[in-house]
Formats: sequence, structure tokens, C-alpha cells
Amino acid sequence: MFDTKLAAHLATLSKLEFTKEELERITEEMDSIVALMDTVSDFTETNGQERAVLVSLSELRDDAPIPSMERETALANAKNKSETFFKVPKVV
Amino acid sequence: MFGYDIKKATVSDLHKGLKNKDFSALELAKAYLSRAKELQPKLSAFITLCEESALEDAKKADERIYKGEGTLLTGIPLGIKDNICTEGVRTTCASKMLEDFIPPYSATAAERLKAQNVVLLGKTNLDEFAMGSTSETSFFGGVRNPYDESRVAGGSSGGSAAAVAAGLCPVALGSDTGGSIRQPAAFCGVTGIKPTYGTVSRYGLVAFASSLDQIGPIGRNAEDCAFLLNAIAGADALDATCSTLPRPDYTSKLGKSINQYVVGVPSEFFGDNISDEVKCAVHQAAKELEKLGCTVKTVSLPSLKYAVAAYYLLSSAEAASNLSRYDGIKYGHRNTDGVTYEEQLCRTRSEGFGWEVKRRIMLGNYALSSGYYEAYYKKATQIRAKLRTEFEELFKGCDMLLTPTAPTTAYSMGKAEPNPVATYSADICTVTANISGLPAISTTCGYDSKGLPIGMSLIGRAFDEATILSVADRFEQTFERKEAAI
Repeated sequence: MFDTKLAAHLATLSKLEFTKEELERITEEMDSIVALMDTVSDFTETNGQERAVLVSLSELRDDAPIPSMERETALANAKNKSETFFKVPKVV
Repeated sequence: MFGYDIKKATVSDLHKGLKNKDFSALELAKAYLSRAKELQPKLSAFITLCEESALEDAKKADERIYKGEGTLLTGIPLGIKDNICTEGVRTTCASKMLEDFIPPYSATAAERLKAQNVVLLGKTNLDEFAMGSTSETSFFGGVRNPYDESRVAGGSSGGSAAAVAAGLCPVALGSDTGGSIRQPAAFCGVTGIKPTYGTVSRYGLVAFASSLDQIGPIGRNAEDCAFLLNAIAGADALDATCSTLPRPDYTSKLGKSINQYVVGVPSEFFGDNISDEVKCAVHQAAKELEKLGCTVKTVSLPSLKYAVAAYYLLSSAEAASNLSRYDGIKYGHRNTDGVTYEEQLCRTRSEGFGWEVKRRIMLGNYALSSGYYEAYYKKATQIRAKLRTEFEELFKGCDMLLTPTAPTTAYSMGKAEPNPVATYSADICTVTANISGLPAISTTCGYDSKGLPIGMSLIGRAFDEATILSVADRFEQTFERKEAAI
């Protein structure tokens, strides 16, 4: 059964915040969604095949440096930045 | 000026007109922009209309055409779903999180179209981060169906489908992770194809579920979809999951005989969850395919009953991982009142994402978390393998499978959100093609008692888009489409 304690744990893993009302709402919804997901419990894997390879990865390129992105371009969409780096709240 | 209604014009029609100089690309762009602006308040098909740059694109197209160097797509106006990056043009994924994001690069698919001098009319509306099947979860407001404005256009590529159906552009790009090209194409009475996984580069497609996502075309018919697929498909060094197999000419089988094909109709797709009107229309389509020379037979896909759950577990798990990148640091929405890094991060994400996106992230982390991984995510990967095996068996005796595209026609706006389980369950007709990586096309095969379009899907063998395009095209020659009255 999906309860608010589990919802709160998943919210932490998901880096999401919910108000008390939102947590109750998402708990109720997740309970019914998980009931739908429980359909898979009836499935029994029979022949040792766990996951299919969908497409083989293309050849990798040579391990040599190539032009990437200009610093200014990389910083263009950031909300908080200096001339050379992204600014973040203090973490240490 | 054009000699015909641009609302009904196909790529072929427009290409002929441009080549014969019946009109210029600039005149064409202005006509479509005018119609798009006129109907934007009613349909919300676009998030961004690129008025100035579209006219510049059109002028460049005209220069190329006048030099005699135009291709089939030169000067053709199109819409691009707003989860496909376009350099210098806002790309929002219909989310507050990316409300003002300007990509510094274009998706490969967009670049390939630009190289042919198409005219980008605008970025089309969608469900937020492509998560949804109504286009109602868009931060910018839901997309309305051109056949009935009180109803949804479907999703998540609802804007692209509605734009084509309403004659705002002749073709558009969408993306499909669990049915997001095919279902809105069905709801809006147009044609859309999800290519085989690995056919079109995903570089520049904002990731939802990386093992399921594919970009694909939506057009007025299968031929236009084939034209667009020719332009965007192909190997790409920027996407390691993009196949290096040579691509065929997707138009090569159009107009050829289809009476050598065997069409399987899996009985599990016609259960009680499918409306009688949809079942009737698709069965009628099967009879029509028989008249056109195909052999039609009943087949079985026993693992269909696990498909929806497997899809939502796989896609949500991948989405939870992919959307971890949205932390407000390098781009996107950023919370300003959080004091610690953790506070700012959690508030950024909680403010930036809509409810459906949060729901999927929670479900994804649930499926992957300790104590639940084996029972859910691992099981889903096993079901995926089983479905692929079942399809491989079916394709030993069939060339394609015929199914409904959706259990019902377009529903009223506001019906989906309060009932996520019912909404998720309605993806039953589309998700198997994504889970197994197979190509699938939806085309209109009927209308319900309210005049709403009904779509049928053809699922083909891997990398055999040309065959399902040819059968859809042949069917469309005999089927009488009804235009949206808008």
C-alpha cells in the first residue's frame, strides 16, 4: 500500500517538495497508479531473457579533442552566473 | 492566388506551385502565418510563432528555388514540436522549467530540414516534457481539436497534429515515446508515423525516455510523412543509438501493389476497453485492405495485457533519471528564495515542473528504488523482451499488424487529469510499438457519430517503414477524408 511516508521518501529521492495537501493528493494518486503497475506481478519470465538489446550502439569516435561549446554560449541561459562560471548557493 | 485551399494543400501540391512559380515561398509563408495567427486563440497549436524568421527562411528558399536548386521541401512551411531544439528559437517543452530557454544548438532532424530551406513557422504545443496524451498539461494551455474545440487534440504532439489538421502548416515534426505522434494524429484526423527506434537521430530531442523516444513526421497523408522521413532519417555521429544501417527511400513503395502483404489483426487489441465505433471502423478498414488485395488474418499478442504497466515503469524510470538535470543551475527556471543548495534545488524543481511530470518522476523513482526495483523495473524489462519475441514470431507469418490507434475518439477537455489510471490505460494501443522499437503509422479510417476522426495503426517490421507507408498510402487513396470545419 502506498502511504504518505513512502511518498515523502520518494519526494526526497526526486528532489521535489510537496505541501501537506499535495502530499496527500499524490499519495492517493500513486496508490491507484501503483495498483495498475502491479499488473506486472502476474508476469513470469520463462526463458532467462531479461532484457532485449534494442539496437547496437554505433561506432565510437576517436578519443581526440574536438571543438565543443564556447563558454559564453554555455553560460547564456544561466540565471546566476559570473563571466566565467555558474553561481550556486554555498554547498560546503 | 494559390488556386486551391492551402488548408488542404499537401507537400506535393505546394512543391508544384513553387516550382511553377504560381506563388513564392514568401507568399506561402505569409498565407500560413496569417491563418496560424487567426486560429491561435482558438486552438493554441503553437507556443512560439516565428513570424520574422519564417519570412527570412522563405526569402532564402525563394533564392534557392529561383536558382533552380530547390528540393522537394524547399519553401515548405512546417511546425516543429517544442521539445525539439532549434538554435536561437525558444524551446520550452511546454514547461515553466524551460519557459525562456534558447537552445545553443539545433536538433539534427531540425538541421537536416533547415539544410533543405524549409520554412519554420513556429514551435508547436505539447504536453509538458512530452508526458501526456491530451496536450492539456502544457504550461501554456491545452491544444484544442480542430474537429471540435471543446475536445482535446491528443498528445503529446497535439500542437503538431492540430496545426496540420487545421491547415496552419502542411507538415510538422512530433515525437513519440508511447504514442505521442500516432494518437494525436488519430484524434485530429491526419497521418503520423513513429519510425523504428534508431531511424532518426535523437540529438537535440529533449529526453523523456531515451530507449523509447523517436522524432517523426505528421502530415496530411502518408506520402507527405514519407517525404519528411526521407529528410530527417539517417545515421548521426551525435547519437550513438542512431542506426548506421543505410536508409531506404521511404517513398520507393508508394503507388506499388500491396496485394502481396499479409496483415495480422491481433485479437487482444479489440477488447471491451475499445469503443464499439472504433472497433467497427478498424474492422471495416481490414475489409478494405482485403479488397485492395491484402491477406488479412487474426493473430494473437498474449503479452499485450502487461504492456501499459511495463511502458509506464520503463518510461517513468528513464524520465526520472533524464529530468534530474533540471536543477536551475545551467539553464531553466531557478528558485530565488532557497538558502541552501538543497532548498534551492527542490524548490526550483517543484516550482518548475507541472503535476503530471512530478507524478512520473515519483513513479520512476519508485520503480527504481531499493526494495521495488526487482518487482517493477526489472519485471518491465523482461516484459519488453517477451513482447519483442512475440512480435518476431508474428512477423514470420505477417508483414504488418493492424490495430486501433486509440480506444476512443478525442475526449472532452478536462476529463483526463482527474483520472490518471484511465488515461494511462488508454495508451494500450500504442505503447507496444515503442517498447519493441518497431515502426508504426496511424491514418484515419473512419468518423464516429459525432464526426470525430478514428485512427487505425499499422505496425511494421523493424526498419520497414516503406512497407507500412505504402499500405497506408494505398488505403488513403480510397478513403474519403472529412476536413475539420474550422
